[in-house]
Amino acid sequence: MKRIYIILVALLALVPIGLYLTDAPAWGEWDNSYYQKTLGFIPKSIENATSTALFSDYSIKGLGDVPSYYISALIGIILIFAFFYLLKKFIKNG
Amino acid sequence: MHIADGYLSPQTVIASYALAIPLWVYAFKKLKAELNEETLPKLAALSALSFIIMMFNIPVPGGSSAHAVGTALLAILFGPWVAFIAISMVLLIQALVFGDGGITAIPVEALAMGFVEAFVAYFIFNALKKYKFAPFVAGYISIIAAAFVIGLVLGLQANFTDESGKPLYFPFGITIAVPAMVLEHLLVGLAEGIFTQVVYTFLQKEQKK
Repeated sequence: MKRIYIILVALLALVPIGLYLTDAPAWGEWDNSYYQKTLGFIPKSIENATSTALFSDYSIKGLGDVPSYYISALIGIILIFAFFYLLKKFIKNG
Repeated sequence: MHIADGYLSPQTVIASYALAIPLWVYAFKKLKAELNEETLPKLAALSALSFIIMMFNIPVPGGSSAHAVGTALLAILFGPWVAFIAISMVLLIQALVFGDGGITAIPVEALAMGFVEAFVAYFIFNALKKYKFAPFVAGYISIIAAAFVIGLVLGLQANFTDESGKPLYFPFGITIAVPAMVLEHLLVGLAEGIFTQVVYTFLQKEQKK
């Protein structure tokens, strides 16, 4: 059991590497300007879409890239553990 | 392999939710049956690991990037249904909190990166069980299968156009989207394969002690 935490903590520590390996977006995850440039227009539905996520693109307002990425990773881990522990509690009581 | 809001036609969104919801219900039951003092921390840690490795963007030739997913490892250790629901939950958090993938696209992503990757990995691993590199092959092939499904669904969106023939949603057709997704995952699949192999072996050794 302990080993899985070692891996998790190690990868968490290394997570900023994910910022530095590449700036390129994933295929199909471009900025809208990409469509303007390659097609001459932005598909309507893509243009109209808005993101309402709190920490959009794993960035946290007022923080630099690296601290943002670290905190985002931590938030993700906490939410995932919370999900499983709450689920278990819920099953026990239900 | 994440898909933003606005990329999929309403028809695709509705069809994918209709397909995914009953599968989620069944997978959720499987998860509830599996959850106990011993599996809970391991399952949470592996799901968290999946979230973290998706943050490691790997450059791909052609000015693009992609990442491993970690579904194969979950599928090998906990079975495909549990892997499917665990990854779906990770995708939900990514969409809601980090805007990585849209809420409308969650079922398509979950069916590809969750369902398809989990079942492909699970069957390949079991078929090759006696070979040392079964986890690598399971990870490598299964993420390519997931990428194929994403490419297919994205590519289909080009068929939805306005009166003037302009695509309304994701504009590149199947002949572009499928090869693009599959080819880059031939490379990124190595990361998924290595991740699956290394972590699986590392955890097995602990169990033997």
